Parts: sequence; structure tokens; C-alpha cells
Amino acid sequence: MEVALQLGQALKPYLTEKEWQWLSGQVHQIAVDPRPQLVAKIFTAMPRHLRSIDKTAAVSMEEPLAGPSGLRLPVKGWPVVRVARAWTLTGIPAQDRSAYISLIERLFQYGEMEELVALYAALPLYHYPEAWQARCTEGVRSNIGPVRQAVMLHNPYPSRFLEEGAWNQLVLKAFFTDEYIPDIIGVRERNNPRLAQALVDYAYERHAAKREIDPMLWVLVTEFLDERAFGLMKRVFSATQSVSERKAISYAFKNSAFGPAVEFFGITPLMQELAEDKGMPWEGWVLNINDNKNYGN
Amino acid sequence: MCSYHEQDRASMGKRVALELDLVKGFRFFDPHVHMVSRTTDDYQAMADAGVVGLIEPAFWVGQPRTGIDTFRDYYSSLVGWERFRASQFGIRHFCTIGLNSREANNEALAEQVMELLPFFIYKEGVVGVGEIGFDDQTAAEEKYYRLQLELAKEAALPVQVHTPHRDKTKGTSRSIAIALEHGLDPGMVIIDHNTEETVKEVLDKGFWAAFTIYPFTKMGNERMVQIVKEYGGERIMVNSAADWGISDPLAVPKTAALMVKHSIPRETIEQVCFKNGIAAFGQSGQLDELMFEEKIQIDQAQKFAGNSVLRGGQQPRRDAGSIIIS
Repeated sequence: MEVALQLGQALKPYLTEKEWQWLSGQVHQIAVDPRPQLVAKIFTAMPRHLRSIDKTAAVSMEEPLAGPSGLRLPVKGWPVVRVARAWTLTGIPAQDRSAYISLIERLFQYGEMEELVALYAALPLYHYPEAWQARCTEGVRSNIGPVRQAVMLHNPYPSRFLEEGAWNQLVLKAFFTDEYIPDIIGVRERNNPRLAQALVDYAYERHAAKREIDPMLWVLVTEFLDERAFGLMKRVFSATQSVSERKAISYAFKNSAFGPAVEFFGITPLMQELAEDKGMPWEGWVLNINDNKNYGN
Repeated sequence: MCSYHEQDRASMGKRVALELDLVKGFRFFDPHVHMVSRTTDDYQAMADAGVVGLIEPAFWVGQPRTGIDTFRDYYSSLVGWERFRASQFGIRHFCTIGLNSREANNEALAEQVMELLPFFIYKEGVVGVGEIGFDDQTAAEEKYYRLQLELAKEAALPVQVHTPHRDKTKGTSRSIAIALEHGLDPGMVIIDHNTEETVKEVLDKGFWAAFTIYPFTKMGNERMVQIVKEYGGERIMVNSAADWGISDPLAVPKTAALMVKHSIPRETIEQVCFKNGIAAFGQSGQLDELMFEEKIQIDQAQKFAGNSVLRGGQQPRRDAGSIIIS
């Protein structure tokens, strides 16, 4: 089904008849005459027009939305206004490349917090998919939590389009800002030795500061485990109070090809006990690495 | 060097120990405070003192801007970064957007700002056009005040009017007369920075009267107590207008505490320190009292969705009383 149609259908039950008529009229208008002023006004003033909606309502769609580049964007728990904004955005015709890009960019430039969340969440839905790499990287830099999350989490755009340096910054930033790492789409497939190295550096720093380390960090390191990582992991394993961190290290050792880790795992019964991944956020992680090797770049 | 004159100290009156326990359980709404100039410690202190919401009017930032881009970035920060920053402390942040009187005097720039305003005033959480009005009371100031009154009327938004420090009484009367001349409903206009000299006319003509509790240059809160004793709580609201100057982001809770000490009824205190600001700016359709009943803020909900972060978007609290920083 066409994306705009899908969004419209998902939205309809949440609006009054009058609101529905108004919004579908506007979306139709944009499709035939995408004047920047008109788009900006509808996009911006959306909450003023959809006054009846339940602000706490969360919209989830069964089918992910398929963008022009084939990316599949899951819609889970979006506020109604965000769905309405995404619908408006998908209603903008591809038109001339530079006009299209400057129209969307302008919305970014003037965006308030919720508008920015909608704009970044919709990255996979824009035409000229390769044109949004710089914008995507900029979103990762945002200091506004929900905005950053809209780029980093549940969003298939970055893993497909960011080059390795920018991608690694995204993952590091997610660790720095305490995000739930498995929510980053493509985090398994885009894992790489430079990222793992930076993560181990980060782990050393956290360890020195006596701060907790997200267990997912060790899971990402698994594939690239080396002497430097091994030394710290062994120490953390015996010192940490966090069961999930111990489980993550055990899992990493179990699945690593690094000799000393294999050996250590073999002589540490506690580790063998803890290496079970069932119910953990990294369940089946290693299997999937091999399945998806050709994804992305 | 900066030093405080003896007369300043004298004007501060008798020192009364700070007892915020007097207003424990109260909720406060500060309808005028420039948070871009304040630190996270202020946000923390405001949240601790019971401030649950605030309005940040667009104003100048201590020195004149020289280009349109800095205006745009400033407005963007009011609806973006600053809003998020407040939410981390559980405070709901709203704003008013407008061209302030001082910078209205740079006409070339003012023209560009006027073109920019429609991009911002319809945004979520923008509860009015403000703060606009007079400073030096020049012709340029009047021109842009009038244009923005029309803009507010078109957008059906309340107006937050800054009244001048110098020649205040006349400036206030003039602001009122012009608003009426443009056909604005006085119930949609909040006249700010009132004094004993201006309040009567403002209320008599049906406008909202806001009072800024700001040391040395504007109202003191002992005077505020007297005003509420005389006029009651109807259409009156208290704000801090705290900014980059020597000001107090806790002015609203402190004034409420002083009112408690002076046996002003709790309903009246709630009116002037919470309800009236919300009611006046709530006419924008962007704000109502119910919003403050929702315990979980939007950004927290977002954090919680499919996410194991326990802090739920709240900032961790540093221990200000300890010499150790960790």
C-alpha cells in the first residue's frame, strides 16, 4: 500500500470528522501545489487544528512504512500529531530536487521540538534518499533528547546511509546518552573494528571513573575482542555487581574467537553458567551477525 | 567595579528568613521568566520550590542583535532546546514570540523579524505574542507594537505587553489605548511590569495585570502583598522576569510564602501565582490547568517507550552540599 494512504488510514480513527476533512483537504492541496508557505503553515500549526485528539494516544501500525529507497520505517507508539505530520510530509510531491530539498530543510531549520522529532523520524520517507545524510548526522548531534532519539532509535535511515565515521558517532552517542542499544536499527550489521575499539576506550574511561558500563557494549565488542578488551573484561567480570554485565561478558567470551578469552571461558564454570543469552537484549546476537553480513555498506 | 549602594540595601526592607516550607504543596506558574539566561541550578531550585510551568517571553538578550539569523536561532531555542531543558526538571516550558521594543528601533532588522514571526507564532506551545510594547516610546516602537497587535489578532493569540521603565505610567496608558484602538479584547492582553501607579487603570479597563518581582528596579514582594490585599486576586498575576540581571527565579514561590505569612487566603495566592497566568495565556488553546495533572511528561514517555533507562528523562541531581564531585 502506498505510504500516504497507510498513514491516512492509521490517523483517521483519532480525528473528528471535521478535523479529518480539514487535514485530508490540506494534504490534497499540498500534493497539487506544494508552496513552502502552505506546507510550513500546515505542518507547524497542526496541534492548533487537531484540538480534539487525545494527546496521550499512541499510534502503532502493523506494517512498517516503506520509503522510496525501500527502507522500512516502523511506527510504534507515535503521538497522533506526529503521524499527521508524517502524512503531510509524505504528501509533498517529489517535484524538482532542489525545491524539494530546500522545502524540507526549511522545516528543519524552523522546527520546534515535536516538529523536529517528526521530521527526523520521517527521514526514511523522503524522496532523494541519499540527500539527507548531512541532516541525519546533524540530528545525532542534537542536544534535545527526543530529537536525537528520533534519528538514532527505530529509524532505518542511518544504518543505510551514514558512512562509517558518522555511524560510529551515532552508536557512541547512544551509549553516552544511555539509550537502549538494541533499538538502534542496524547496530549488529554495521558493527566494525574501529567502533569496537572506541567502545573499549570508553569502557576504560567508565571503569576508571567507577561508573557503570552498559552490558551491550561488551556484546558489540565480542567479534573484535583483543588483548586490550580482554584485560578489562576479565577485571570487570570479577569486580562488577551487575549481573547483566557479567552475563554480557560471559556471552562475549563464549562467542569470541580470541584465544585467551576462549581459554578463560573454558576454566571458569561461573562464566559458562552466565553465558546463557535467553531473555537478554542480545539473545541470538552472534547468529544474526553472520546472517546479515552483507547489509549496509 | 560593581557595588551596591546603601539605599539599595535600605530599599530591600527588613530581612525575613526564607521559609519555602510555608508553600509546601503549592504549585506555581511563572508567566514571565527568561530561562535562556539561567543555569540548570535555577531549574532545579524552581522545580524544588513547586514551579511546574513557565512562560519565556521573547526579549532582547542583553545586547542588540545585528542579524536576522540570530533572531531565528533565538526563537528556535525557545521552542526547542530551552523547552527540552525545562522538561528535564519536570517543568513545562511555554513561550511568547515577538519583536521586543528595544530592537524595534533597528528598523531594517525589524522588518525582517516581522517576516519571520509567522513561522513561529503558530507553533505548539507558543501561547502569545510577546513581549512587545514600549521602551523609549519612539515612533518605531509604536509602529511595530501596532503591527504585532494586528498579528496577534489574526492568530487569535494573547498579547504580553512590556511596559517601559522610564515614564511608566504614561507608557502604560498609551499601550492600553493603542490596544483598544486596534480592537483587541482587553481579556486577551496581559499588561506586564505594573506598579501601584498603573494597576488601577489596567484592571478598570478589563486587562490582565502582571507584576514583576525583581529586586531594585521593579516590584518588591512586600509591595505585592499590599496590592493583593487591596485589589484581591482577580486578573492579577505574579512573575519573576528573571534574566541575565540580578533577579530571582524563585520570586513567585517567595512571594507566595510572604503572602502566607500575611494571611492572604490560599485561594487568592493560587489565583495570582498559578491559575491566572494559565487562564490568561490558556486562551491560546496551547495551555490549560489539566496539563499539570499529567504526571509523566512527553519526553519521559518517549524515553520509556521500549527503553530501559530508569531516570526517565530526569536529570540526575548533583549534591551541591558536598565538596566531592563525582
